[in-house]
Amino acid sequence: MTDTPPSQPSSEGAAPLRPASPVRRTAARAARAGVSLIWLVPVIALLVTLGLAWNAYSGRGTLISVAFTDAAGITPGETQLRFREIAVGQVEAVRFTGDLRSVLVDIRVAEDVAQFIDDAAEFWIVRPQVSTQGISRLDTVLTGAFIEGSWDDEPGPTGEEIHVGLDKPPLTRSNEQGTWVTLASDSAKGLSEGAPVFFRGLTVGRMQNLRLSERDETVLADVFVSSPHDQRLTTATVFWDISGFSVGLGPQGVELNVTAVTSLLQGGVEFATLISGGQPIRSGHVYQLQPDQEAAQNSLFSGAPQSELRLSLLLPEAIKGLTEGAPVQFQGLNVGRVTNLAVRLVPAGAGQSRQVLQDITIAISPQRLGLRDEATAADALSFLAGRVAEGLRARVAGAGLLGTSLMIELVEVPEAPAAQIVTDAEPHPIMPVAPADMSDISTSAQGLLNRLGNLELEELLTSATDMMDSVTALARSQDTRAIPEALRRTIDEARVTMTDLRSTAEELRQSGAVGNIAAAAEAASALAGKLNTAADQIPSIVDSLDTATASAAQVDFAALAADAQAALTDLRGVIGTEAAKALPGRLAAAVDSLGSASADIGALAGELRQGGASAKLTQALDEASAAFQAVEEAAVDVPEMVDRVDEAAVSIDEFDFAGVSAETKGLVADLRAMLGTEDAEQLPRNLSDTLEAASGLLNDLRDGNAAGSLNAALDSARRAMDQIASAANTLPALSQRFQQLAARGEGVIAAYGDRGAFQTELINTLRSLRRAAESFGSLSATIERNPRAFILGR
Amino acid sequence: MLTAHRAGLIGCHACGRVWPQDETTCRRCGATLHPPDRRGLQAVWAWLAAGIVFYIPANLLPMLRTETFAGLQGSGEATIVGGVIELIRYGNWGVAAIVFAASVIVPLAKFLAISWLAVVAGRPATIEAAHTRLKVFEVVEFIGRWSMIDVFVVAILSALVQLGFVASIHPGPAAVSFALSVAFTMLSAQSFDPRLIWRGLPLRSRRDTTTG
Repeated sequence: MTDTPPSQPSSEGAAPLRPASPVRRTAARAARAGVSLIWLVPVIALLVTLGLAWNAYSGRGTLISVAFTDAAGITPGETQLRFREIAVGQVEAVRFTGDLRSVLVDIRVAEDVAQFIDDAAEFWIVRPQVSTQGISRLDTVLTGAFIEGSWDDEPGPTGEEIHVGLDKPPLTRSNEQGTWVTLASDSAKGLSEGAPVFFRGLTVGRMQNLRLSERDETVLADVFVSSPHDQRLTTATVFWDISGFSVGLGPQGVELNVTAVTSLLQGGVEFATLISGGQPIRSGHVYQLQPDQEAAQNSLFSGAPQSELRLSLLLPEAIKGLTEGAPVQFQGLNVGRVTNLAVRLVPAGAGQSRQVLQDITIAISPQRLGLRDEATAADALSFLAGRVAEGLRARVAGAGLLGTSLMIELVEVPEAPAAQIVTDAEPHPIMPVAPADMSDISTSAQGLLNRLGNLELEELLTSATDMMDSVTALARSQDTRAIPEALRRTIDEARVTMTDLRSTAEELRQSGAVGNIAAAAEAASALAGKLNTAADQIPSIVDSLDTATASAAQVDFAALAADAQAALTDLRGVIGTEAAKALPGRLAAAVDSLGSASADIGALAGELRQGGASAKLTQALDEASAAFQAVEEAAVDVPEMVDRVDEAAVSIDEFDFAGVSAETKGLVADLRAMLGTEDAEQLPRNLSDTLEAASGLLNDLRDGNAAGSLNAALDSARRAMDQIASAANTLPALSQRFQQLAARGEGVIAAYGDRGAFQTELINTLRSLRRAAESFGSLSATIERNPRAFILGR
Repeated sequence: MLTAHRAGLIGCHACGRVWPQDETTCRRCGATLHPPDRRGLQAVWAWLAAGIVFYIPANLLPMLRTETFAGLQGSGEATIVGGVIELIRYGNWGVAAIVFAASVIVPLAKFLAISWLAVVAGRPATIEAAHTRLKVFEVVEFIGRWSMIDVFVVAILSALVQLGFVASIHPGPAAVSFALSVAFTMLSAQSFDPRLIWRGLPLRSRRDTTTG
C-alpha cells in the first residue's frame, strides 16, 4: 500500500482522503448486466445427472415379488432371475412375509419380459441337486444359485401381487406337450418325486406331486407322459411298480427280477397297453398302480369285474395248498384266478350221508378264453357249457416245482362221466370237477420208490439158490457118477464084443451072417433112439426156463421174480422128481442091458460065427464106423459145451450173488470132475456103437441148444439184474438229489423265515444301502443348502 | 485503511503490478485487468453449483465394487458413507476417520466455506473479519487439491487389487462424480477474487484514527 501509482492524478492532491465510493450494484442490476455463460456448466451438470438418474430409474424394470419357503443361496443385488438360462432380472431385496412363514424375494425384471409374467408363471430356485436321479446343476456351485422362471408367450392376467415359488424344479415346462395322468396306489412304495415312468424300458415321463388322497387312504401321484408317448395311454393301459427286486418261487423255479439298478434306489413305474380296444384317455385319468407285472397282467382280467364269470367248484376231498389268487389255467394259459375258498355242507339227501365239500370260487375272464372283446359272463358260461359237454373238467393240479402250490386246471378228461354245468346254482354256477391230478415229480418218485421196494428180490435169490442146490445134488449123486463107469464097462464089453465081432466077422465073411448082425444093430439103434426121446425133455425144460426168465426180464420186476420163482420151483420139481433121479439109474440099467444085449450079441455072434453072415456083418461094421465118426464129432462139441457152461458160470459169478456163484462153481467142478475121471477120458477112445445113444442125447442137447438157452436165460437174468442194479445205483443219486432239492427248498423257505441267512444278508445290504443313501442325502442337502461350502470348505 | 481500489488503482491478477483504474491490460505481463467486481462471483457460484450437483450422485452411487472369490464370497458395492460405516464396523477407526474427513467433511466444508466467502465478499467488514475471510480462503485453496485423495485411493486400489479370481476392486460410478465434484469445487475456489475480501472495509479503523 505504500506503493503509489505514478499516474496518480495530482489534481486531487490537496483534497483530503475520502473513501472511495465502492461500485455497488444491486442484484437486479447484475442480472440486467447479463448472465455469464459460466452458468451453463452447472446447468449441464444438472442435466447430465438428472438424465442419468432418469435413465437408471426408467430402465430398472418391473418389480415382482415371489414367495419362497426359504431363500437359500439368494443374495440381494446379485442373484439373477433367468428365463431359459438368460438373465432377465435381478433380486433386489429379500424380506419376510408378515407372518414370517416364508420369504419374499423382490425381483427387478426387465420390462420387455415382465409383460409375460402372469399368474401361471412358475419360479423356483436352481441349486445343485444331488439326488437318486443324479447330480445336476453343479454349475451353480460356482456361479451361485439363481432363480429360474418359466412362463408362456402370452401375456396373462397378473391378479396376484405375490407369485408363489416352487420348492423344487417342476418336472415339465409349462409349455411342454404331453398328458398328465394320476396314479393311485395303496402305498408309496416305488413312487418317489421325479421317479421315471418307463415304457418298454424307455423313460417317457416323470412322476411328481406325491400326496395322500383326500377321500380315502390311497396315495396319488401325478405322472406326466410326454408327447408323443402319451398316445399309447388308453383305458386298457396298466401301470405297475418296477422298483426294487423280487424273488419268487414260482412254477418256473426261483425267479429273481431286477429291472434296473437305478430303480432300486429311485423307484419307478412302467406301463404297457397289453390288450387292444382301449379308449383314448384325457388328462387326469386315474390309473391303479399294480405291485408287479404279473399282477398288472392279471389285473387286466379283473379290470371289469362285471364281465367276469364266476364258477363254483365242489371238491369232495380236502385240498391243501390252494390259495386265493391261485391261477386258473386253460390250455396252459391263465384265464382267471381263485377268488374264494370255503366249505360247503351238503345236507343228507336220499341215500346219501351228509357231505362236506370244499367250495372253490373261480373268476374267469371271457376275453382270455378267446372270446371277443365285448363278451360277457353269459357268453363265457355258454362257451364253457359246450366244452363241458365234450369232457372239459376242472381239477386241482400242482403248480410248483415241488408241487407245493396248487392251481385250477380246465382240461379235457376223455373218460370223464357225463356232466353239465349247473347253471342255476347259487351263488355261482357249479362246474363239474375231475379228480385232482397230482402227477408232479414228487408223487412219481414216490411211486417209483414204492415199486422198487415191492420187488421180491430175496425170494428170487432163494429160488435161484435152491435150483442150483438141486442141480448140484443131481450132479453129485452116485447114480450120475456111475454113468461113465457103466459106460466104460459097457464100452469095454463092447470092445470085447467087437473083438469077438471082428473074429466073428472074419468068419462071417465066409459065412455071410452079416444080414443078421445088421438086424441086431438096427435093434440096438432103436434102443438108443428110445434113450434119445427120454433125454428130449431136458431142453424143453430149459427152454421154458429161458422164456420164463426172458419174460421176467421184459415184463415186470415183481412178475419176473414171481415167474422166475415159479419156473425155478418147477425146475426144481422136475429135477427133484423121482423120475429124474431115477434117470441115471435107468441109463445105467439101459447100458447094462445094452451090455447084456452085446453079450447076447456076442453069443449070437458066436453062433453066427458058424452062420457065415460075414457080408452083412461087413456092412454093419461100415455103418458102425460111420456112427463112431458121428460120435467123435459129437465129442468135439463137449469142450464147447463145457465152455458155455463155464461162461454161464462166469455170468452167474458176475451177479455177485455169492450163494449162486458158489453153487454154480460146485456144479461146474462136479461136472468137470465127472468129465475128468479116467473113465470119461477113456470115453472117446473106447467109444463103441453103443454110445450112439449118448451121442444122440448130446446131439439132441446141442440141437436143442439147451446150453445156449440156459446161457441166454442167464444172460437175460443178468441183464435184468444189471438193470435192477443200475436202477438201484441211480436210486441213491436220485434220493440224494431229492435231498439236495429239499435242502435247497428248505433253505429257500427258511431264508424267507425269521432271520434266515439270506434275509440277514438282505437286511444288512438294505441297511448299508440306507446308510449310504442317508449320507448321500445329507451330503446333497449340505451341497444344496450351501453350495459354496463345497469350495470354501465351510 | 487504504486499498488499491480506494487509491484508484487496479492490481494485475497475474503479476501483481498495480495500474490506474483506466488501464485494461497489464503492460508488464499482458494480462487482462479486472476490477474487483462482485459480478465475478457468478463464476464462483456456477462452479460451486456444478460441484454440488455432482456431489449428490457421488454419495448415492457406489464408489467401489469389490469382488472376493469372483463374487462367491461376496461382492460389495460400497458408497462413501457405507464404506465408512463398514470400516467402523471392522474397528478401523483411524482409516474411517480419514476417509470420512476426506470424503465428507472436507467437501462439505469447502462448499460451506466458498458459499460463505461468496456471500460475504464485498460486504462491509472489519479488518479482523477480513483477515478471517482471507485465512478461510487460503485454507480452502490449500486443501482443495487434497480432496482428490478419495479418487486417488480408488484409482490406486483398482490398479493394485486385481488378483483375478481371489479379489478384485473396480471403481464405481461415484468415483467419476466425486472427481468432477472436487474439480468443480477447485475451479470455484480459484475463480473467487480475494480482492473482494478487502472491499467494504471501513474508511478508518479505530487504529487508524489513533495513529493518524
